[in-house]
Amino acid sequence: MNIKIILRVIGLLMFVEGAFMILPIIISLIYGENDTMGFVFSSGINLLIGAIIIWLTRNASKDIGKREGFIIVAIVWIIFSFLGSLPYYFTGAIPNYTDAFFETMSGFTTTGASILNDIEALPHGILFWRSLTHWLGGMGIIVLSLAILPIFGIGGMQLYIAEVPGPTPDKISPRIRHTAATMWVIYLVLTLIETLLLWIGDMSLFDAVCHAFATMATGGFSTKQASIGYWSSPYIQYVIILFMFLAGTNFTLTYFTLRGKFRPVLKDEEFKYYAIIVLGFTTIISVGLFITAQYGFEETIRNSLFWVVSLVTTTGFGTVDYLMWKPVLIAVIFMLFFFGGSAGSTGGGIKIMRIVLLFKNGYYELKRLIHPNAIIPLKFNKHSVDSKIVTNILAFFVLYFIIFGASIVVFMIFEPDLVSSMGAVASSLGNIGPGLGSVGPAENYAHIHPLGKWFLSFLMLLGRLELFTILVLFSPAFWKE
Amino acid sequence: MKIVIAGAGEVGTHLAKMLTDESHDIVLLDDSLNKLSKISNQIDLMTHTGSAHSFEDLKKTGLSKADLFIAVTPYEERNVFACSMASYLGVGRTIARINNSEYLEERYKNKLRNMGIHELIYPESLAAKEVVASIKQTVTRQLIEFSGGKLILMGIKVRNNAPVLNKSLKDLDLNEHNISVVAINRDNVTIIPNGKDVIKDGDIVFFVTTPIQEQYVFELTGKKVFDIKNIMFLGGSRVAQKAIDKLGDNYRIKVIESNLEKCKQIADKYDKVLVINGDGRDFKILKEEGIDKMDAFVATTGNSETNILMCHLAKTYGVKRTAAEVENLEFMGLAENMDIGGVINKKLNAASYIYKFTLNAAISKVKCLTASDAEVFEFIAKHDTKITDKPIKYIDFPEEAVIGGYIRGEQGYIANGDTLIQQGDKVVVFTLPSGIKKLEKYFK
Repeated sequence: MNIKIILRVIGLLMFVEGAFMILPIIISLIYGENDTMGFVFSSGINLLIGAIIIWLTRNASKDIGKREGFIIVAIVWIIFSFLGSLPYYFTGAIPNYTDAFFETMSGFTTTGASILNDIEALPHGILFWRSLTHWLGGMGIIVLSLAILPIFGIGGMQLYIAEVPGPTPDKISPRIRHTAATMWVIYLVLTLIETLLLWIGDMSLFDAVCHAFATMATGGFSTKQASIGYWSSPYIQYVIILFMFLAGTNFTLTYFTLRGKFRPVLKDEEFKYYAIIVLGFTTIISVGLFITAQYGFEETIRNSLFWVVSLVTTTGFGTVDYLMWKPVLIAVIFMLFFFGGSAGSTGGGIKIMRIVLLFKNGYYELKRLIHPNAIIPLKFNKHSVDSKIVTNILAFFVLYFIIFGASIVVFMIFEPDLVSSMGAVASSLGNIGPGLGSVGPAENYAHIHPLGKWFLSFLMLLGRLELFTILVLFSPAFWKE
Repeated sequence: MKIVIAGAGEVGTHLAKMLTDESHDIVLLDDSLNKLSKISNQIDLMTHTGSAHSFEDLKKTGLSKADLFIAVTPYEERNVFACSMASYLGVGRTIARINNSEYLEERYKNKLRNMGIHELIYPESLAAKEVVASIKQTVTRQLIEFSGGKLILMGIKVRNNAPVLNKSLKDLDLNEHNISVVAINRDNVTIIPNGKDVIKDGDIVFFVTTPIQEQYVFELTGKKVFDIKNIMFLGGSRVAQKAIDKLGDNYRIKVIESNLEKCKQIADKYDKVLVINGDGRDFKILKEEGIDKMDAFVATTGNSETNILMCHLAKTYGVKRTAAEVENLEFMGLAENMDIGGVINKKLNAASYIYKFTLNAAISKVKCLTASDAEVFEFIAKHDTKITDKPIKYIDFPEEAVIGGYIRGEQGYIANGDTLIQQGDKVVVFTLPSGIKKLEKYFK
């Protein structure tokens, strides 16, 4: 194990985090609020420790193997959250460290579950940092560093695989560095456009930036206690729906679309099912809401569409409280917790591609029963899928639901209500945000026992790195030389 | 530079790896997803699954914007056709791997060029050349000729009987004799020597000199040239066949090959060669065929381990010259240490041959040294380049590289600090891998 390079990459990334903390310092200076020093301290600690580690490991060899890749990614995410929580703690915005860590992990993993009871009371710098954690975590910390730091040679590949473990990693250019940079440019451009569109609506520029960060990262932190429901403007809701949908789309497809090539999008199977899932569930929920006649015509469709997109993409922005709906509709809503955006998007969760492949494989299995000798390859986008990938996906599902089930049991220690437990666990594991029962969209996670918060933080990380990257660290084989 | 490589075989993979390290953008095309996914896990490049001779698949690799297309699938006709298609799709330059020396003939060059095939590479032929060189030149570990032999580079293993031992290069005053020492390989590390360095027992020393001085170098290193008459080839691979072709009729050659069909083929093709059907690892056969009477033993079976071990065994039976094809890069150093006279690697040969097309400077020859990780270039000095600016000692030449000599007109010369390179000179430069990129700017 090349410990020096592990430390070096971590040091470099701490330095990057410290540099990003300068942004909220500027915000707090602009608004003249009293949280400046908290950020200065946090940023200083990051920059200092980062610089020391970089200096100490200056002669590290650049070999990054598979093991180093997994360890670096896992540790980087954990350290980012530990140090990223310092601003909350130092400024006194969140005086309890457990809460501050929970909020940060929820931010970086783009979960969007909050422990804050009075968001509007917080200074602008803190709110900005909160949204920025989403934005940095959304596209991935490693992907960001690959794009901006010229330090990774071939090892960058290992890190990329560990952080973006989707079923088939797509490259849009021969160099991983160039691919990462392109992704970030698309990400940045979409964020800017959304900011502009929200600003044209009646959002302030500050709120527009923060919400654009949270939308494009499929995060879910809002600067308002009532989330998007604060703005009664349908325009703002539609803009956010559109951009949540884009954030949940494979960025490779967005790349081709932006370059004027529409065929890849139209021919992409995952995108087709993504659209079908969104439209299908919107129809079901709309019909349900029509029958109960809770809202007007346009409002019904808007509310259904908003929640469906928000949950499928794992954003977790809210308008109305779905827990007020009929139980059967809540059950339908709960199903949406288990989708996740497309592979190669910023959405967390299981990912549509895996679900499509799982269902296809299940269907072909039936066919194989009838024609025992038939060779029926599993096809996706007109190419047959390697059986290794299928096995990997099956293993992913098994693990996901074992972890889901076991976590509910564990979490019941802290939260006596089964429904709330299910909601909290599914929401954390899927990086969504709002759950059911006592952690529903109108509630928050403040009342949960501290140990429960650490547990949920762990689930968020597990979900964000798509299980394997974290779980492999717990396998004895990983540590054997 | 953007380079598309078709064929993820041994040569293709090695090239991809080397060129990626040299910061070129590589797209690798192959029809086996399995092979590609293994490679894309290790090397930072883009892969496409598809056929090298499908317009659609070639288009997907972004050929129209690429500078170079290299077709190195195992099938010659596919490579030639793929290059032709790639040219049509707008790639700057194409290189096809071939298995047929007919294509190399000058008179067909234009025809091929019209078809859009710009360069040809024949790895087996390159390897065979190495085999022949190591048989014809029995003293050196490696012999490279520049401009048809006007200047030569020789890698010689120095043993305790050599007069040059333990003397510093300055004291030897080799420049007087038109000899220059460009590198020393000691314990698998290559050193670019200065005047103070001393030649030690066991070093492989690389001399650049003119052919007239060849004999003096042998004297210095205590080597005696011996003649080779009887050669035994283990394995009748394509490399072996090509080598037999090139050796001509002056040798008595025996080939031991286990595949009967192949044996018949070889026997058909070469009248004077004695073909033995049998497993070359069976020592009884080797003895029956008189391995102890052989002057040279060449192992070119498909298995590197077999080749190394059998050469080693042949040595113990008193065979003076051995050559082994070692495709496994990790084994090359090991083979060198086991005193196998010629270590031949098809991949490295092919890769350095193709390498020159990726550099911007005018290069007439690139060769990798098997006994070291370094490369030798023959640059053509152009008008108004840095190298023709002032005498060598005033040029801030990279530390990792050294100018061995130059060829002006019909004559080869050894370079020293006062040499002023002129336009049109061919300059022989020896460099470690880290120096290659830096060299470019001196000749551009």
